[in-house]
Amino acid sequence: MKDKILYLLGVIAILILARDINVIARLPNEAQQGAIFKIIFFHVPVAITAMTAAAVALVASVLFLITRNFRYDALAVAVTEVGLAFLAANLVTGSIWGRIIWGQWWAWDARLTSALVCWILYAAYLMLRRAVEEPTQRATFAAVWSIFSFIDVPIVIFSIKWWRTQHPQPVFWGGGSFPPDWLAIFLWNMLAMALLAIVMTVVRVRQEDAQRELDSLRRTAHAM
Amino acid sequence: MHLTQIPTLFAQMTTPDDLVREAARLQRNYEFLSYGLTVAWAILVIYVLFMVSRGRKLKREIASLRAMLEDRQKS
Repeated sequence: MKDKILYLLGVIAILILARDINVIARLPNEAQQGAIFKIIFFHVPVAITAMTAAAVALVASVLFLITRNFRYDALAVAVTEVGLAFLAANLVTGSIWGRIIWGQWWAWDARLTSALVCWILYAAYLMLRRAVEEPTQRATFAAVWSIFSFIDVPIVIFSIKWWRTQHPQPVFWGGGSFPPDWLAIFLWNMLAMALLAIVMTVVRVRQEDAQRELDSLRRTAHAM
Repeated sequence: MHLTQIPTLFAQMTTPDDLVREAARLQRNYEFLSYGLTVAWAILVIYVLFMVSRGRKLKREIASLRAMLEDRQKS
């Protein structure tokens, strides 16, 4: 992807998010939860982005194991790292919402616990990569770990349907609804988060390419 | 108690103390909303800064290794 297009996408994402923060601040408070409800405009888009990143990492890992092409390994690590940052933002915003609505920062219910486990699994993926020196072995182990870690993603998504949880049912998927103007803001935020994640992932993939080039130069220098 | 009595009950509850409590609740709500958004943004910004610094470090290392290899080839 050309640099100009990449930076343009990043700027568009930031402009949309900045505009949305202004619009969200002007919205009336939700009848029961008050202003804190507005955190949903950030909390849910980052969660959806993080779960999508995990799905992309799964596909890239499977493709690496099939083709042994390191481009897929680079994509898997890039998207995992970006997804981890988004999932961290999701966990923190959820915790702050819980402090107001539940009166506590954390509850060990199925949704929150599985999301935390998901974060730990993908953090372990990055740690595993640092622990293995040999590139092919590192990529293979990491791909297997990524596929294994993805088992938790459907649990995170469906936990609120499968078990009775303290975490509320989703607005769109649990019989609730948004006023149309709120829905539009939510979708704009969703688009902005997705754009931001794409830009970060492309930048991170380039860094993986640069890292491979650096490793190759080091090998050449060592051989000389 | 009849359901029709409930609005009256609410009206009785609206004392100055209730209003102060409600204002404090709203204020706390806004404070926590701003904390949430700030922390979430901070996480993403810190990650971007981390990525930028890693990118610079990689570029620097590649440039210095290339220069070293060119020097070795010349000599």
